[in-house]
Amino acid sequence: MSEQTSPQKTPLYQLHEELGASIVDFHGWMLPVRYQSIMAEHKACRESAAVFDTCHMGQFAITGPRAAEALEGPLTQKASALKPGRCKYGLILNEQAGILDDTILMRLGEEDFLLVVNAGTRAADFQLIEQQLAAFGDDVSLVDNSSTFGKIDLQGPAAYEVLRSIVDDEKPKMGYFAARRTEILGHQCVLSRTGYTGELGYEMYLPRAGLGEVFKTLVDHPLVSPAGLGARDLLRLEMCYPLYGDDMSEETNPVEADLDRFLNLKGNFTGSQALAEAAAAGSRRKLVAFIGEGRRRAENGQEIAVEGKTVGTVTSALFSPSMGASIGMGYVATEFAAEGTALTINHPRGPLPVTVAAKPLYRQGTCGNINAFSKE
Amino acid sequence: MNIPDSLRYTDQHEWIKVDGNIGTVGVTDFAQNSLSDMTYVELPEVGRDVKKGDELAAIESCKAAASIYAAVAGSVTEVNEELESDPGLINTDPYGGGWICKIEIADEAELETLLTAEQYAPLCQQEG
Repeated sequence: MSEQTSPQKTPLYQLHEELGASIVDFHGWMLPVRYQSIMAEHKACRESAAVFDTCHMGQFAITGPRAAEALEGPLTQKASALKPGRCKYGLILNEQAGILDDTILMRLGEEDFLLVVNAGTRAADFQLIEQQLAAFGDDVSLVDNSSTFGKIDLQGPAAYEVLRSIVDDEKPKMGYFAARRTEILGHQCVLSRTGYTGELGYEMYLPRAGLGEVFKTLVDHPLVSPAGLGARDLLRLEMCYPLYGDDMSEETNPVEADLDRFLNLKGNFTGSQALAEAAAAGSRRKLVAFIGEGRRRAENGQEIAVEGKTVGTVTSALFSPSMGASIGMGYVATEFAAEGTALTINHPRGPLPVTVAAKPLYRQGTCGNINAFSKE
Repeated sequence: MNIPDSLRYTDQHEWIKVDGNIGTVGVTDFAQNSLSDMTYVELPEVGRDVKKGDELAAIESCKAAASIYAAVAGSVTEVNEELESDPGLINTDPYGGGWICKIEIADEAELETLLTAEQYAPLCQQEG
């Protein structure tokens, strides 16, 4: 998964050190896992606002008169159907419909796209897209902006209140999954109303020179706390957003990962034929969410059993402060994937009973509500 | 890093406070800080006999799980049930409200094998 080089620092590394962050290696990037308390950072994001350094993620600019058409080869998003100013979630698949990455595609103009990819898969994604776009010659340009741009996420019910104070235009209000070019503190940037937490939020794609000032301004805002990967993992798991490498991989297809509902099954992209076949046949296993009775949690990789027989594996598990119980996700044989099914995690400290629950587990998220904070 | 002089320590970051033949046991400030927010504590049963080094309790935090080992042999006389609903007490008050259990010490001579605050502090420096 990670590239075999020494871990890289994001342009915000120095600021994290000054803030007293604990740093970990995440897919080859030295990133804060927490500044103080993961629980406090989680709470800040659910109740006010949190800012995350996501500069490790990849961002590719795809432009040109045939950009939309060309992107329909490698991406599941139907780029030509995406309206300028909108974003769409989708996947990159191999020919067997195994998941190579999950992505957000933004259309900023008729011939102007931005694709956001995961850190550990960035290099392979670029190579694959470059190969597929080669046939379009000069009609499409693909540029990896990952080292010249960075990304900062602002998430939480107060995100709009906070953003208003730093966006230099008249209309910072945007619909969910909208994206556009604007200026933040005088720095040209792309702004999207997206996120990985379930809360109202924005992602800012800024040139390197502007990252420090924007991050520092946000950290200093009274409604904002800096938050690390620990809180981010907890927030996304409460929303049942799968994490690439843990909850899905090249070994899983979108039907198994329960992501086919987000995809256009009639598209003509790499892996679309295998995906259509998998969707028609149904999958033998399914990624489900589960909730425990108490605080004790499962660990990734533990077996899931029903009546003593192994039926699956845990892929993510944490204690959820929002639910007041341990939660997780894992793959189970499809006959045990129905909501309400009682499962047992084979835990070395004794069997851990959990129940299959509907996704998302956390339902009070404000991601769709721009007035979340002012109405309180 | 808070390392009270009045306590004895293990190299596994447990502390023990001795009062007569009863030892109160917990994890150190260094341990709570490295493990971050506690989310679950599995307490021992009252009356259980343990040998030095036996697993006494288990804790889970946001990112890790760890075992708590008996610093000395003895019998568990009391457990801190408040930790069942509020494991965060270990983070906010590791040497007070975050105590884990009390042990009736079987052999007081074993206490001499434990570290003083002065001996324990360099371990935290090395691991920190």
